[in-house]
Amino acid sequence: MTDKPRWMPRPVDDIAPSSAPLPGLGAGVEPTIVVDRVSKWYGDVVAVSDVSFGIAPGVTGLLGPNGAGKSTILKMMAGLLAPSTGTISLDGRPVRGNPLIYRRLGVVPEQEQVYPFLTGFEFVRLNAILQKLPDPAEAARRAIALVEMASAAERRVGGYSKGMRQRIKVAAALVHDPQTILLDEPLNGTDPVQRAALIALMRRLGATGRTVVVSSHVLSEVERFAENILVIINGKLAAAGDFHTIRDKMDEHPRAVRVRSSDPRRLAAALIEIPATGAVRFDGDGAFTAETDDVRAFCRAAPALARREGIHVYEIQALDESLSSVFAYLVGR
Amino acid sequence: MAMMAWRAAPVLTLTIRQFLGGKTARVVLALALVPALFALIWLVRPGDISPRFFLVETFRNLILPTLLPIAVLLLATAAFGNELEDRTLPYLTLKPIGRWRIVLGKWIAVLVVVVPLLLAGLVAATLLAARGPVDTASRVSNGGDLGPVLGAMAAATVAGAILLAAVFVLVSLVIPRALLAGMVYVFAWESLLGRFLPGVQSVSIRHAADSIFIAVLNDPAVTFAGAATLRGALLTVVIVSVVALALAALRLRSMNLE
Repeated sequence: MTDKPRWMPRPVDDIAPSSAPLPGLGAGVEPTIVVDRVSKWYGDVVAVSDVSFGIAPGVTGLLGPNGAGKSTILKMMAGLLAPSTGTISLDGRPVRGNPLIYRRLGVVPEQEQVYPFLTGFEFVRLNAILQKLPDPAEAARRAIALVEMASAAERRVGGYSKGMRQRIKVAAALVHDPQTILLDEPLNGTDPVQRAALIALMRRLGATGRTVVVSSHVLSEVERFAENILVIINGKLAAAGDFHTIRDKMDEHPRAVRVRSSDPRRLAAALIEIPATGAVRFDGDGAFTAETDDVRAFCRAAPALARREGIHVYEIQALDESLSSVFAYLVGR
Repeated sequence: MAMMAWRAAPVLTLTIRQFLGGKTARVVLALALVPALFALIWLVRPGDISPRFFLVETFRNLILPTLLPIAVLLLATAAFGNELEDRTLPYLTLKPIGRWRIVLGKWIAVLVVVVPLLLAGLVAATLLAARGPVDTASRVSNGGDLGPVLGAMAAATVAGAILLAAVFVLVSLVIPRALLAGMVYVFAWESLLGRFLPGVQSVSIRHAADSIFIAVLNDPAVTFAGAATLRGALLTVVIVSVVALALAALRLRSMNLE
């Protein structure tokens, strides 16, 4: 039995009448997803404020610090949440209240939980069955192979690690080979090998003409897969467009990097010698926080200097608060 | 076989797996066995109560107002409640299937699990009651004939479960603490108030199920004032169930899933 639409969805022209190019799109580029003057609030709290942008085929990163409103926007794009005002369309059709749209859309939700009593294969096959695919088992095997989970497919999801759960969720979202894929923080909990494999997969999907939207709060991750980025800060669109252009603007603003090591004072003394390092503050737990106007140069220099000085480095982390300040800096420009 | 079940009814199969893997089904099994436990206790000292009278009274005063609603409530609120709590519902709603199919799958899953368990409990209680003294001064006519009683209990249980499951599935999508709200409803409305206020009784789910029990049993000695006809009671079951399930599908369609 097939579901038939009870009504004809409105064409996109009715939804986005503006003729001006949308933020996030190059001139003459046809958007797959149009987010038009969307706001979302909960009582007095505004989660998303009057956001408009378009997303074209390729990989787009939805970047912003935790709590910025990325997940809310992604959930509205997936049809899970209704915008308080504004409209969201996919291929000219409204997403919300339109189940047939999910034939062309795959979503990797933010939540970690997957039915723990099912095996990975059963979970992906369930998604294939719900997509009414002619051969769900074969489609499931193909999708599981894409995320390199074949060896664990017969194990129960309840026994999976966080990274394995993320990958099986990605397989479930890709099982029907959708043209548009939304992924909410898909790299959370993955180890470096899994992360590299998922990033390569996202790039492949983007290169084959699919529209891939990936949310993340980690700038260095987004850099590895996204050609375009949408920067969300405090529920507003702070910047949209080519990654490198925006990245260059971000790099102009000093950021904080936390370094934990076996000898923080000696490592800080060595790092202060390089031009990328600004002020240094000791945190008292084997760590110090350094300000830098070039995070990439700093992160390259720190391990090299540590090795030279015979110091063990346990952690190098660009701080979220710092990222937030970069976004605030962009908003202020 | 399992693959066929998944393909034919994925939401139903998923929900049954969910129930069988959790604690709720075990609690429902324990509730279903309570009548058999009562029958065992009664067998020790049956007094002048006939097996038939014991079964009729146990069904109308214990199973119908309390055990049946609680058993159905536990499963019906868990059907969507587990998904909402674990935030797994998007795996179903982000698919090109009608919301009514999700609701229907969940509702049928509740019935597939709860009805056999409750019927098994009734059969066990009836078999135990049949071992009781049939030659005592019966307080109900046809003291030893338990077949019609079991048939009437089964009919009322199925009808009551259909109605209760539909209502509680709707409640679980509308009220955040559905289990608590359902418990209050069962004890306040179906059990206590219905006992003292005849007006409340006539608009309770128990009233419809009890009317079906009375009509199917067709025993002049077993009746109550204001009982609906079999047709009227069945019509109530169908209409209320369809309306509740339709409202649940609409609710699911408009729900925001965080």
